[in-house]
Amino acid sequence: MRLEKCWFCSSTVYPGHGIQFVRNDAKIFRFCRSKCHKNFKMKRNPRKVKWTKAYRRVHGKDMTQDSTFEFERKRNRPERYDRNLAENVLKAIPKIEKIRVTREERHHKNRMKGKKRKIQKEATRELEQGISLVKAPLALQKDPSLTLPQKIKVSVSQQQSEDNNAMEE
Amino acid sequence: MAASFASRCSRVSRSLFGGLSNNSPGLFTTSHEMTCSNSFSQLQQQRTFIQMRTVLKVADNSGAKKVMCIQALKGKKGARLGDTIVASVKEAHPNGKVKKGKVVYGVVVRAAMQRGRCDGSEVKFDDNAVVLVDKQGQPIGTRVFGPVPHELRQKKHVKILTLAGHIA
Repeated sequence: MRLEKCWFCSSTVYPGHGIQFVRNDAKIFRFCRSKCHKNFKMKRNPRKVKWTKAYRRVHGKDMTQDSTFEFERKRNRPERYDRNLAENVLKAIPKIEKIRVTREERHHKNRMKGKKRKIQKEATRELEQGISLVKAPLALQKDPSLTLPQKIKVSVSQQQSEDNNAMEE
Repeated sequence: MAASFASRCSRVSRSLFGGLSNNSPGLFTTSHEMTCSNSFSQLQQQRTFIQMRTVLKVADNSGAKKVMCIQALKGKKGARLGDTIVASVKEAHPNGKVKKGKVVYGVVVRAAMQRGRCDGSEVKFDDNAVVLVDKQGQPIGTRVFGPVPHELRQKKHVKILTLAGHIA
């Protein structure tokens, strides 16, 4: 029994699932479901379709180079059965899986590093540019509570009031 | 508090405006996609059984190039992958074993219509191709070209499998 990978979305094709297409040069295309098969028939490139693994790999969304992927590689020579080896492999599988998950999480975290700041920046800009849609600029001048709170650290209370006056003008 | 409320308001208004302004091109794109999908479905022909008057390629060196199915030996609707058909030779090489106009038997080794496998998955090929055999099931030619499904073993056509270069 061999778990193949779908040609289009690179997911695992379990036995009895999907359809396989044999081209005249004997290249076999396996598909996990009709969705992938239809996309293939429409001659779509999996690298350009956003939900496929190929796209995510090309665009740096997923971890690509890692030693944990070596264990999942396709081997053409079948391993001779050895009881101890099989036991060890079964023990190693959850460990490797755990390592892979943590590494992927780290990759994701690295990728999303500047995300929060970017969102905040965009929101600020939108607020500054679009505040006139909520309240007329003249009304805003009279009531400054709708503008963004400015981070000004001033020790003396008198100076702060002066700053506020300056901002209104 | 007030600031956050304002930002929410502005965002809502933005999205509304954006939806209004982008409405017409959006409609156009959807219609375009629909026409595209229609053309694709027309392009991708619905594949069916190999029935009377189906023209198949010959994937061996028996001398025939193209044969036309005149009878499927099994099945009411027609022949599928691995079935035997009776065919008449429509095109042949000038000095081959099989001449044009002869009635021959053939095993369907490639079919564009999908066929279920024993594990429940399906297999389909690029074209419809046949290997000419005699009445006993022995191939007439000495070579088989192109991929051939391993289901032929269950159909007792081991000779074709041994001659084939690729087994899918």
